[in-house]
Amino acid sequence: MINFEEELKRFQPIPEVSQAEDAIYSNDLKDISDIVFQVTEEMKTANENAASRYAGRVRR
Amino acid sequence: MATKRPVLCPNCGAHIKKNGYCSSCHMPLPVLKKAFNTSDYYYNIGYDRAVARDLSGAIDSLNISLRYNKKNIMSRNLLGLVYYEMGEIVNALSQWVMSVNYQSSGNLASKYLKELRQDPTLLANVDQIAQKYNQALAYAKSEDFDLAIIQLKSVLSANPHFVKGYLLLALLYINSDNYERARTTLRRVLKIDKANTLAIHYLHEMGDTDENIIEMSKESVENDGLLEADEEAITLSTTGAKSGSKLKLFFGDLIERYKAKAVSRGEYGEISFAKYSGIYVLLGMLLGIFLLYFLVVPAQKRKIINEKDKLIKSYSEELADKNATINSLTNEIANLNIALDAAQNPQNESDNPLPDYSEIQNGMSDEDLQNLINNE
Repeated sequence: MINFEEELKRFQPIPEVSQAEDAIYSNDLKDISDIVFQVTEEMKTANENAASRYAGRVRR
Repeated sequence: MATKRPVLCPNCGAHIKKNGYCSSCHMPLPVLKKAFNTSDYYYNIGYDRAVARDLSGAIDSLNISLRYNKKNIMSRNLLGLVYYEMGEIVNALSQWVMSVNYQSSGNLASKYLKELRQDPTLLANVDQIAQKYNQALAYAKSEDFDLAIIQLKSVLSANPHFVKGYLLLALLYINSDNYERARTTLRRVLKIDKANTLAIHYLHEMGDTDENIIEMSKESVENDGLLEADEEAITLSTTGAKSGSKLKLFFGDLIERYKAKAVSRGEYGEISFAKYSGIYVLLGMLLGIFLLYFLVVPAQKRKIINEKDKLIKSYSEELADKNATINSLTNEIANLNIALDAAQNPQNESDNPLPDYSEIQNGMSDEDLQNLINNE
């Protein structure tokens, strides 16, 4: 049986023309390349941090 | 000897190093290639679905395609086109704008946007439709179901491809136990989007089988009368699941302005205004007759009497003139008759006796007599 209240929650207001700009910005999703780039940047930062941590040590 | 062309990063356009990573953005080329291929694969699925008019399925596939490569222009343009077909113009616009942003030259989206810009009334209508739909949704959420239905009908008349509007309308009909109307509404959805999951879900809940649904989607929706302002539509019940109250409305969009007055709820039974239509007509006729006899007819009478008086006056004056002329002419005739008589009977002149000189002659000399005559 259809639960009207629950079904009604599926419906959301649609953007008006004045809100089109917001819709464009909110639509700017992350794709695979963004995620890979983010991961690469994080790894790069982590490597640099690790390098700076061990930079002052003297190997015996 | 042919020179080896350098491999460029599909993400930023820089050179790819020998280890397979971009020299600028450090992205691994194999991963990017795989992602872009997968994006194209989902684009193809989306395209096939769009061709088969499974628009909601196409939207799903194209969104997945964009998850793999957001710069896939074909996917974005097709997604915009599918949104446009489903009446979601603002979403279509946003997809096309982003598409043009990623690739400005040789992009089909530029053509679509140009066409939209050439019709300034279209954007105004789109805005109005969006506002009305949002208002209808607000009415539905506040249990003003009759207003929501009227508003949705107005929206769907302006944009007959607006799938979301049909789905909400169908839900409202189902809520008011008007299943036949709900079916008609959902049939329209299936004409636009053959495999709309929500429409099929509602039809299943109303007891329709898959075979029924397939048959239903083949039927024509041209003359289903869904958006006509028939009696059933304007006297739709406002039955909420909780309140159970009913309200009838006459005035379409005008009702929106007078919402505060119109939505006063009471414990009234269902009123059919159709059965009072005869009485209204009779009352109208009586009012017309009343106005005719008490306002229009006396004014007409007064006008006719005034005109008659004026006519009588003018005739009287003319008559007096004529009488005067007749009198003067009569007098003239009389004078002329006298003159005529005088001319015809000169002997009558003897009737005017000259002085009798017979007596005087006796005993007067001729000279005296002559003097007497001269003196006379």
